[in-house]
Amino acid sequence: MAGKVKWVTDIEKSVLINNFEKRGWVQVTENEDWNFYWMSVQTIRNVFSVETGYRLSDDQIVNHFPNHYELTRKDLMVKNIKRYRKELEKEGSPLAEKDENGKYLYLDFVPVTYMLPADYNLFVEEFRKSPSSTWIMKPCGKAQGKGIFLINKLSQIKKWSRDSKTSSFVTQSTKEAYVISLYINNPLLIGGRKFDLRLYVLVSTYRPLRCYMYKLGFCRFCTVKYTPSTSELDNMFVHLTNVAIQKHGEDYNHIHGGKWTVSNLRLYLESTRGKEVTSKLFDEIHWIIVQSLKAVAVNASPSLTSSTANDRILKYNLINDTLNIAVPNGEIPDCKWNKSPPKEVLGNYEILYDEELAQGDGADRELRSRQGQSLGPKGGRSRDSGRTVLTTWK
Amino acid sequence: MLQEESDLSLVIAQIVQKLKGSTLYAQLERQAWASLQRPEIKLESLKEDIKEFFKISGWEKKLQNAVYSELSVFPLPSHPAAPPEHLKEPLVYMRKAQGSWEKRILKSLNSMCTELSIPLARKRPVGEQKELLNKWNEMGTDEPDLSLFRPVYAPKDFLEVLINLRNPNYENGDSLSFRTHLGLIQVPLKVKDIPELKEFFVELGLTTGQLGIDDSTQVPPELFENEHVRIGQKVLAEQDSAAAQQYIRQGSPTALRAELWALILNISSQPEDILYYEQLKTNVIQHDLLVDSLIYKDVKLTASNDDYYFVFEDYLYQVLLCFSRDTSVLGHFAYNSASPPKSYIRGKLGLEEYAVFYPPNGVIPFHGFSMYVAPLCFLYHEPSKLYQIFREMYVRFFFRLHSISSHPSGIVSLCLLFETLLQTYLPQLFYHLREIGAQPLRISFKWMVRAFSGYLATDQLLLLWDRILGYNSLEILAVLAAAVFAFRAVNLMEVTSLAAAEAVLADLSTLKVMPLLQIFLFATVT
Repeated sequence: MAGKVKWVTDIEKSVLINNFEKRGWVQVTENEDWNFYWMSVQTIRNVFSVETGYRLSDDQIVNHFPNHYELTRKDLMVKNIKRYRKELEKEGSPLAEKDENGKYLYLDFVPVTYMLPADYNLFVEEFRKSPSSTWIMKPCGKAQGKGIFLINKLSQIKKWSRDSKTSSFVTQSTKEAYVISLYINNPLLIGGRKFDLRLYVLVSTYRPLRCYMYKLGFCRFCTVKYTPSTSELDNMFVHLTNVAIQKHGEDYNHIHGGKWTVSNLRLYLESTRGKEVTSKLFDEIHWIIVQSLKAVAVNASPSLTSSTANDRILKYNLINDTLNIAVPNGEIPDCKWNKSPPKEVLGNYEILYDEELAQGDGADRELRSRQGQSLGPKGGRSRDSGRTVLTTWK
Repeated sequence: MLQEESDLSLVIAQIVQKLKGSTLYAQLERQAWASLQRPEIKLESLKEDIKEFFKISGWEKKLQNAVYSELSVFPLPSHPAAPPEHLKEPLVYMRKAQGSWEKRILKSLNSMCTELSIPLARKRPVGEQKELLNKWNEMGTDEPDLSLFRPVYAPKDFLEVLINLRNPNYENGDSLSFRTHLGLIQVPLKVKDIPELKEFFVELGLTTGQLGIDDSTQVPPELFENEHVRIGQKVLAEQDSAAAQQYIRQGSPTALRAELWALILNISSQPEDILYYEQLKTNVIQHDLLVDSLIYKDVKLTASNDDYYFVFEDYLYQVLLCFSRDTSVLGHFAYNSASPPKSYIRGKLGLEEYAVFYPPNGVIPFHGFSMYVAPLCFLYHEPSKLYQIFREMYVRFFFRLHSISSHPSGIVSLCLLFETLLQTYLPQLFYHLREIGAQPLRISFKWMVRAFSGYLATDQLLLLWDRILGYNSLEILAVLAAAVFAFRAVNLMEVTSLAAAEAVLADLSTLKVMPLLQIFLFATVT
């Protein structure tokens, strides 16, 4: 079935369209026969909702898994991780090992979190244990930093109290769902500023799990110096790193947008903190990503809006490499095709985890250990030996 | 033989003289006195026993490092009767040129001062002092109105001065020959050719392992990298400056670089160093200098817009504002062809008793100056250590990039070296660029003046500066500049204007410096 790949999208972004056009793919509408549909989150929801009962045919690919919101919605993500941990514990998996205080040794990567209003009472109990702590409220279904705020007094979240006198059955269902987490108020600072990491992960198949991490992730810096002082809790420019928020700060600089590449970060950390600590940090980040993916399904849309020229180039290349992996050789997709793509195709992605390879038999043991440890800025290198390591990727 | 001996004793005498005033001397004295308590120190063999004690306890090594540091920084005296100006710069016409350049800069500064009616210095009112103290860690958020300030000079102004340098004793006749230098620099200084450079930079050769080449993904670490790291750790354990300097010629592992540079520059953060920095900070709080605004403007124009260094904006103020007030920097003018500008207390013009150096450290910043500090922020995040490292880098290396002198690492020699390399080994390219009005030096000058900071990716820049420290010379900047032109020669041969040539060379951020240098020096057929 030779022929040009037919594509549709409902997102008018040049980084996408330029990539499709440069491959000579043919644009069609969604009512026609299409092979590749880059959907917005809304469309995914509609297409895969129970009512429509839409089924993809063998030669169709979309850019999100149907249950992607299991990871995007914060309450679902937390639920999934908690459930995953319990499952592992039940199986007696070594991953679920705990220390003498009951903390997970390898799976403790989500701070104490509760759903509101459902877990309100549980939350209050926890809050009272350390009343001077700060907590962060995030609406479950929003992104780009919208609706997030910090609290350090119970009165600030009275609205979500189940026992509140104003609540009735009706109002409760319209109360927006939030998650509340313990705020980590001693973050790593660089140049006195807080930053977060924006990493791109591509999941090509879920069973077996095959995921790739884009090597060119980046850090986003706050424009204002960090202070844990309570008087600045309301200043979102200090605490939230989302570009959408920082963009409106006075000091936002349009040439670089407050971003560093992950390799800059790595250079800085190795220079100031040493190689071991830095390698451990990145290993643990990769570990968290793989475990989260195993716990749930895949993510929704990253922002395709480019804030700076460099950013546009980055996203264009990102989509390019993504398409090379997802639609190899530019051929019409075939769901039966299930082989791992060859190394040359990866571009700036590197294999984060490949379940098939990881579960290879004894003869492949060598390959497996190299594969699972193939991360860091140097793709195929094995790690420094002699460290006590979070043992299992498999 | 006799001459050498007396030269050596002269050097020794000078170094002893210098070290006598240092903290190290006081420490050694204290240690010697304290050691008398030790059982192994006997009265009959006092001198030998104390010397032995110093050796075992590591104090001898500290002394060695201090001596080594002095040798690296101070030029050897040529003749006991040579006047101090000769130490600064032996050639009269260079001294004169530097003198007139300085006059121009100072005039420019003074007229800016008069135009804007801002004093060169003023004491801050108490309220303002308090405010600044509170904001010390985030001076970047300050938005003073800097629109009326302009940099005192930019690299291209300086280049024009260098282009017009002439040696009045030199007459090469009117006829052009193959010896005629076709570049912009027209002074006859001796520069190395490629065979000499190959000898000088022998450790960069093809058969020696390098960081920046032999640590790439394709090379298994067992071949070079692991062993090199191990040796680096050993060098650090021994705390030997000379060994560190030799070691770093092959590049420094990222995790060891901060310590290695400190060892080579002989910087150890003693309590008195931290105190000294705090003292400078107090000076900043109490007095406002006109140059402060120049510093602000420079940081805002350069480092704040840089992809890598914007994060460290606040550190840059903390370092540079203190630097301007650091009178210990005046010491380097003994071997710098430049001299600190003098200013007079208001109303006392010409009266020597009322003369002060302005700024206190004698260094007037120019456009891009803050880029000397920025890369160091990737290595040191403690302000006083960062400060010390920068200051030492400045008085050892960076000052040579903006003063007129005949020193082999001075900017004039670097420019001449660059042009000569290009004309000798890439004559077609050089001739072509000259024909279209794109003299190569016009493009590469800014790279060299800034030691490539802001032009290369940070990891590459640090590898380059490793070699500056390792060879105690800036010549590598000229070699790299030539290597970049060689690398992009094919594209450059096709351009037909200066602007197009600039465009081909606008983005160096993807370059890998060590392979470029190696190919240019060791793998090009000459």
